[in-house]
Amino acid sequence: MRAAVRAASRRHGLSAVLVAVLLGSGACATAPGDGEASLADEGGAAPGLIAPGAGPGVALVPDLGPGQRPALATDEAGWWMVMDRAESKLRTAGNLVRDEALNRYVKGIVCRLAGPYCPDIRVYLLRVPYFNASMAPNGVMQVWTGLLLRTRNEAQLAAVLGHELGHYLRRHTLHRWRDAKSTTSALIFFQIGAALGGVPAVGQIARLIAMGSITAFSRDQERESDRMGLRLMTEIGYDPRESAKLWQNLIREDEADEDKKARFIFFSTHPAPEERSETLKRLAEVALKAGPAVETGDERFRDIVLPHRQEYLRDELRLRRFSRFEELLKMLVEDGVDTGELHFFQGELYRLRDKKADGDKEGDTDDRDKALAAYAKALGAGGAPPEIHRSLGLIHLKSGQSEKAWAAFAKYLELKPDADDIEIIKSMMQPMG
Amino acid sequence: MLGRGGLITVLIFSLALAGCGGVASYYAKEKLERGDKTAHVLLMTPDVQLGEVTAGGLVEPNAEWTAMAKKHIVAALKEQLAKRKSRIVLYRSPKADTPKARIHNQLIKLHNAVGSSILLHKFAAPTLPTKEDKFDWTLGPQARIVGHEYGADYALFVYLHDTYTSPGRVAVMVLAAVLGALAPGGAQVGFASLVDLKTGDVLWFSRLDRASGDLRTLGAARESVKTLLQDFPL
Repeated sequence: MRAAVRAASRRHGLSAVLVAVLLGSGACATAPGDGEASLADEGGAAPGLIAPGAGPGVALVPDLGPGQRPALATDEAGWWMVMDRAESKLRTAGNLVRDEALNRYVKGIVCRLAGPYCPDIRVYLLRVPYFNASMAPNGVMQVWTGLLLRTRNEAQLAAVLGHELGHYLRRHTLHRWRDAKSTTSALIFFQIGAALGGVPAVGQIARLIAMGSITAFSRDQERESDRMGLRLMTEIGYDPRESAKLWQNLIREDEADEDKKARFIFFSTHPAPEERSETLKRLAEVALKAGPAVETGDERFRDIVLPHRQEYLRDELRLRRFSRFEELLKMLVEDGVDTGELHFFQGELYRLRDKKADGDKEGDTDDRDKALAAYAKALGAGGAPPEIHRSLGLIHLKSGQSEKAWAAFAKYLELKPDADDIEIIKSMMQPMG
Repeated sequence: MLGRGGLITVLIFSLALAGCGGVASYYAKEKLERGDKTAHVLLMTPDVQLGEVTAGGLVEPNAEWTAMAKKHIVAALKEQLAKRKSRIVLYRSPKADTPKARIHNQLIKLHNAVGSSILLHKFAAPTLPTKEDKFDWTLGPQARIVGHEYGADYALFVYLHDTYTSPGRVAVMVLAAVLGALAPGGAQVGFASLVDLKTGDVLWFSRLDRASGDLRTLGAARESVKTLLQDFPL
């Protein structure tokens, strides 16, 4: 949700927007929707998946054909070269997820969405605890594990993957580069003209307009990719309504974030999530009229992605974005799958936050009590990791209840006799001087 | 997305902007002892990228120029080393995802990290108190593994990025000059690093940055490589 692009643009202005937007390969799956859009905008379903046509205000460049590589002497080849180099680093990245089943699964969905373009796309799963995916012009697709944690079924995952494919098929990086190049060139001549004319302030205003124009261009591309993603997922039978649901969940999480800083819409490379979610909802209704596409792929998603959820929840906990994490866990509990591990992480969240009850608020309790309640639920539901007993021990120790703490630690060591923190746990079980 | 390579680019460019132009180098030993033996130098895949500075000051990477420049640079390096009783062995990356590839990649990444530190702490600020009067950076003895595989004594890492001023940018530079402002044009930046494959020590490190040069033609690329290697210790 917190796209690097957006954060960077707020802090560093035009140059950072350009570096992030151009080098940063493409577009993140973080936020579009278009009030005027309809699925019909893409024209009839042409054999190559997408009808030819340009994005808003884009000079006509045909979409990429399957297996197509740009000619060496073109600007497009330059960006492919840059991304090819980045890809060789990606291949050896330390946080690359190497689990075969998971990789095969995500690549499989991409392939079904991409049809004849399947061999052109390389998917890289990276263990990064934020919601994002990106698409480079040369066919490198990055998917972060923070995204896998937040998509709730295969259809939602397909919605994002289809969106990313849209960036590739429509050659968005190339369009964005050409737009940025002509905009910045026009800007500099205008600024020089204004300075020569003795009114440099006009040049500064022009700079702001240019920045706005570049980011608006990017927003339009996101909208186009959203429509494309929705269309690709519907064509292979996924329920298009899941796309809007994903955005609603992300908005809910975002709104729960106490540290949320006001968004600076002007520099935003993505449309407002609310707008995006509304449009997707309406487009889904349109798509549903064309025929029932109702697959959500819940079971496959559960079998292949959810076994990894504990790792991703652990990564998320480490970010210590407590209010956000609290909301995310609440939503996942609502889904009702493997609630034991979810309650365990709720307990962990409260234990680490350790906030005292707010005396003014009725019914508010200490985080320590909340943690104990969550751990009890986790033990009741089953499926919590053995560490739950260590956590209970730590809480009891903090509350001065040594006997209870030792019993919990003993249980932890019994369940995990090869624990790597065995010595420190044993030392905590010694009576204090 | 910037990553290590990006950091190196930023470092070199910031050095160029700081006005320390030309070539400069550091070495552990001024001249390496090797008797009459021919030294085998493993040339790691050179990091080369060429592009054009647009009127607005952005850099458009150019794949065609880059491909040409790579050939010229390798040819020029071979010539330069031949003059020094040394022979270049070309590095070829092993098949991806093999244990061998992982070992090699670790060494390359480590060199990237050490090279970034050298660029930052020897060529720019802040200098490190423990490194002020010496040049004793090392990748460690694990480098030996790669040396054995290729039968090489040394590894040479080369990084050369070159940008050229587009006609539109020339106009901007002239107009900016009229206004008393500075609009930077194309620049040639790079470094070369020689690693002892027995010890892993970085023996010599040279940095180039200047507003001249052209890697698109063999003749000018020869000159760039010659300048970069001007006090090469072999």
